Amino acid sequence: MVNLTINGRIVQAKEGEMLLTVLRREKIDVPALCHHEAVEPFGACRLCTVEITKEDWNGYSNYVTSCLYPVEEGLIVSTHSPKVNELRKTILDLFLARHPNSPEIRQLAADYGVFKTSYETVVDGNNCILCAICTRICDTMGFHAISTVGRGHGKEVAPPLHQVPPDCVGCLACALNCPTHYIEYTFDNNYLTIWDKKFELMVCSRCGKKTITKEFAEYLSKHRDIPFSYFEICDECHRKELAATMGQITSWEREA
Amino acid sequence: MNYRFIVRPNLCTGCRTCELACSFTHSIDNIRGITRIYPLDGGFKDLWVPVTCLQCEDPACIKSCLVDALRLNPETGAIELNQDICVHCMACVAACPFGCSIFDKQHDIIVKCDLCGGDPACAHFCPTKALEWKPIEVKKKKVAI
Ligand code: SF4
Ligand code: SF4
Ligand code: FES
Repeated sequence: MVNLTINGRIVQAKEGEMLLTVLRREKIDVPALCHHEAVEPFGACRLCTVEITKEDWNGYSNYVTSCLYPVEEGLIVSTHSPKVNELRKTILDLFLARHPNSPEIRQLAADYGVFKTSYETVVDGNNCILCAICTRICDTMGFHAISTVGRGHGKEVAPPLHQVPPDCVGCLACALNCPTHYIEYTFDNNYLTIWDKKFELMVCSRCGKKTITKEFAEYLSKHRDIPFSYFEICDECHRKELAATMGQITSWEREA
Repeated sequence: MNYRFIVRPNLCTGCRTCELACSFTHSIDNIRGITRIYPLDGGFKDLWVPVTCLQCEDPACIKSCLVDALRLNPETGAIELNQDICVHCMACVAACPFGCSIFDKQHDIIVKCDLCGGDPACAHFCPTKALEWKPIEVKKKKVAI
């Protein structure tokens, strides 16, 4: 166990834990756009920056991204000191210049009192903040269907060669975890389309409810050793089936 | 593990108290969660089966989760879903052969029975003891074979 002081309060944390994980557990509201517990910390958005110091630092302090900073014994952390707030304001000011149309960015900036950017607005921009949560989750899941391509101003998230991604299974994890909801997808009858790839959905053989994509079910069945038949019935019909089986046993018991 | 969750369909009256207890216990910000336990008739007359997670030994949910959000809590024997890690891919919901990984529309999250962290509310409230949370007696053998 490691002891640290956060905003004047003594908090215990596990050795090796990142500061942001501790802040979240303590319900301290620190903005963090590129963080997801399913993947390794990345340090792209810089919003989770906090001020740290120690007793023996002679009054000096440092600014670190809490998502990438492992806890240390005796650390004194301020999450909303005037300097930190000022820093976050500047970052949000820049974000707002680049993504003026993103409702999520505008809300966050407004929370910090930034309503209009003081920089030149990017006119042909989009709402992707390049946090790479999508690509990192896709990699962690083992698909590697999308990645960031290009550098600097032209950097973007895309499938290889901007073609329909052969490795995408349509799990939707990228889109559902995008902090600015930039990744588009559409449901149309029994089909899901994402990254310009059209997926057939599994349909419950009993009630007709649509579940995951067939490609995702096939992947899980093949690589995770789960019988494909499990995916042919929806959760509700599975529960009914279990009730019928247990009911049958109970009725035999009663008769006996 | 010192306790076992016992389900006796024979004693269930279908009163659905367990559902309520579960739902209230899993409230988030005072909004009730979806129930993780379902008393169903299974197509039989005067017969109810409280269907809930069986905490399988070789669980399809854990196998299906590609980000390791589902893990066994060795202290309670429950397979727990870590909401911070879950990426909402619905793999576990689709994979569970008993339909006990469930999508909670209200909170937009996936949920499953966590045995309330080792003190299941449903068992507390079941009026007929169709659900029980009981210590397991470990009988010591007196004679070595
Ligand atoms: S939907 Fe496709 S691209 Fe997105 S995370 Fe799943 S496999 Fe990767
Ligand atoms: S929905 Fe969440 S818990 Fe279930 S398999 Fe996907 S990531 Fe894992
Ligand atoms: S969450 Fe730490 S830099 Fe984005």
